[in-house]
Amino acid sequence: MSMERIKPHFPWITLIVLGTLVGIANPSFFNPAGLVSLTADVVPLFIMALGMTFAIYIGGIDLSVQQLANMVTVIATVYLAQFGIAVAVICIAAGFLIGAISGYATTRLYVPSFVSTLAMGFVALSVAKYLSGQRALYMDAELRNASFGWMFDNTAGVPHELIIAAVLLLLAWFLQTRTSFGRSLKAVGAGELAAVASGLNVNRIKILAFAISGGFAGIAGLIFSVKLSGGDANLANGFLLLAIVAVLVGGTPLTGGVGGVLNTAIGTLIVMVIRAAMVYLEVAATQQQMIFGIILIIAIGLTIDRTKLRIVK
Amino acid sequence: MYALRKIDKVFPGVKALSAVDLDIGRGEIIGLVGENGAGKSTLMKVIYGAYQPDSGSIEIDGQTVRFSNPRQAMHHGIGMVFQEQSLITNLTVMENIFLGYEQQFVRYGIIDWKAMAEAAKAQLAKVKLAIDPSAITSSLSFAQRQLVELAKVLTLEERVDGDLVILLDEPTSVLAREEVELLFSIVRDLRNRASFIFVSHRMEEVLEISDRIYVMKDGEVVDVVSRDVADIDAIQHKMVGREIDKEYYREQLQKAYSDQAPLLSLEDVSVSGRFSNVSFDLHAGEVLCLVGTEGSGREAILRTIFGMEHPTSGQLSVRGKPVARFSPQAAVAAGIGYTPRERKVEGIVAGMNVFENMTLSQLGNYSRAGVLNVSGERATARQWIERLAIKTPSEHKDCGGLSGGNQQKVVLAKWRSGGSDILLLDHPTRGLDIGAKEDVYDMIREMSDAGVGIILVADTLEEAIGLAHTIIVLKDGVAQQRFDGFLTQKPSLYDLLHHMI
Repeated sequence: MSMERIKPHFPWITLIVLGTLVGIANPSFFNPAGLVSLTADVVPLFIMALGMTFAIYIGGIDLSVQQLANMVTVIATVYLAQFGIAVAVICIAAGFLIGAISGYATTRLYVPSFVSTLAMGFVALSVAKYLSGQRALYMDAELRNASFGWMFDNTAGVPHELIIAAVLLLLAWFLQTRTSFGRSLKAVGAGELAAVASGLNVNRIKILAFAISGGFAGIAGLIFSVKLSGGDANLANGFLLLAIVAVLVGGTPLTGGVGGVLNTAIGTLIVMVIRAAMVYLEVAATQQQMIFGIILIIAIGLTIDRTKLRIVK
Repeated sequence: MYALRKIDKVFPGVKALSAVDLDIGRGEIIGLVGENGAGKSTLMKVIYGAYQPDSGSIEIDGQTVRFSNPRQAMHHGIGMVFQEQSLITNLTVMENIFLGYEQQFVRYGIIDWKAMAEAAKAQLAKVKLAIDPSAITSSLSFAQRQLVELAKVLTLEERVDGDLVILLDEPTSVLAREEVELLFSIVRDLRNRASFIFVSHRMEEVLEISDRIYVMKDGEVVDVVSRDVADIDAIQHKMVGREIDKEYYREQLQKAYSDQAPLLSLEDVSVSGRFSNVSFDLHAGEVLCLVGTEGSGREAILRTIFGMEHPTSGQLSVRGKPVARFSPQAAVAAGIGYTPRERKVEGIVAGMNVFENMTLSQLGNYSRAGVLNVSGERATARQWIERLAIKTPSEHKDCGGLSGGNQQKVVLAKWRSGGSDILLLDHPTRGLDIGAKEDVYDMIREMSDAGVGIILVADTLEEAIGLAHTIIVLKDGVAQQRFDGFLTQKPSLYDLLHHMI
């Protein structure tokens, strides 16, 4: 069997091998209750990575997601009292809008997505700092529980967070595989020029991909904010690298066109297992990003489609 | 002195070179001619080291050599003057000439620009070019740049001890007559030091300068003629390599086109810098060929009709309705299909399967509220796979893995299944083998019968003459001549060439 044939199966093989290794070293890893809570912990990261998948699937990247989530934690906390559960709509819309602006800059103004999203990320960060007055804000516990308390309940032992994640995954998967939008995304990612020559509105598709990425980052920020019961311009720091790692180790290469949201689910679980391993090996929290940075470069090196890249700068 | 022995080169699905033998004597100038796709550029790439042959050997003075890149070939005295100019336009002339070989001017880690300028002057003198070596390359004319290219290659004279072999790929295509004369006299002067391989479409020039001419066709050298006995007609005949019979282009199937209102009409359409004041009508069942050299505006006209470029003036109407919005989306919606020349890049999406490619231009027909009807897509794909005899194991096969001819069929099926009745075909047979070409010709006739209007930019003039009802000859973006009435009488190659150049 050739390397090319095995490549698509790398992510889940990696997940099983890593999971087994960690489980052998530390049998308590397989404790179901522990696994469920570990998985529930990565839900905000997963949702962010899920959105990012759309940006990477078309061959772009979204570096704004972490700052968007930061901004949304502040928005959620500040406006919860005023709007109640409807604050969710504002959060998602804010993420969607900022993502759409990045997409507009990329498609219409020809600003590469890594720059446009980086720049819009700083805009979001600044909004967060302005709204929060650079302080850590806290939600009123009663209001929080009244509007979003349901998020952290259980049904038959399954945390609602996991159900939210599953519903969003299903939605993203449906979008990717069963809609004409999803098909267009694939065409743009795998062969943008052919997509143009087939009469697809490539600009609109790309703008929408970045907007969806922003919208998912908004949801991630909201859940994170409710979970920690507060908002702060730095709350989601550290998520960006992990989200990119989750997408790439899941098997959606930076060149786009292959992989997708199911891959990102696997990628996020791989990140979770690596984190669990690092906790077990007592790797200091300050060193974790170092390891993920190196994993990211290895993952890109393994997955990128070099035939699509003639020059890398 | 330099020889190729039984060189083979295979690309996936194509035998680009087969058993090519070639000899170059000291100081000899040989010509290399052939149609597009005959294997000339592959052969050139093997010679200057960009490709490695799959089998066969390269010999210099009887010694077998092997180059893994152009730089190694240069060390053996083999240099290439590129057709698409390889100079970097924002560098100075001298930087370009010594690009990659600056070390000789480095003193204590710093480039001695004066020494480089002196050396560059000496090189430029070889090609009789009196320009400032520190001029920025973009300020030069095309002819000057072509000579700088040659000067750059001639630095091999100092660097290499043995004989030189210099490849000239279409060096005259951007030159005026007197510049061509100058280039030829320079080439002749250099014969005491170098041998040349001259590739050109202009047969008279090849005859004028070459001692011997290699004629290529379908990856093989079909003939070698020396200048004294060379005859343009005979060579051209060998290049085409077959009696161009009426069957090949399915001329017996050609029928008169509809005289109803035109599907598409252009009135004085111009795109600045590309073409100007082009007018024609396209009728149902008509095959209209745009003929001209590279850059004559043929492709730009197709891309304008498809909405990829915006006319600066004039009016384009589809079925009598003036087009107001120029975009590929609008064009597709108006029933226009486009088969681009770059099949693998613009025609199909590699990484998507056959049915996904076929419905890409018409997702709206296979979805409701944005949700795809995949079984409908697959059914359509299976139907067209059958109808066009597309060789694929199933509709789930990745299009990137199909052969060129089958990829082209998928692209045509995409437009036909979507009901497009105006088709723009840009080099639809480029790179296809004979059998696949004939399939495309069959499809063109079949589409004409079905009332599709086709605008074709053909791969060769014969193909244009064979397939067309109407030919418009373009030169520098201006329509020179229109040929009609093909059912009774067809123009000859020379009729067309005469207006092209």
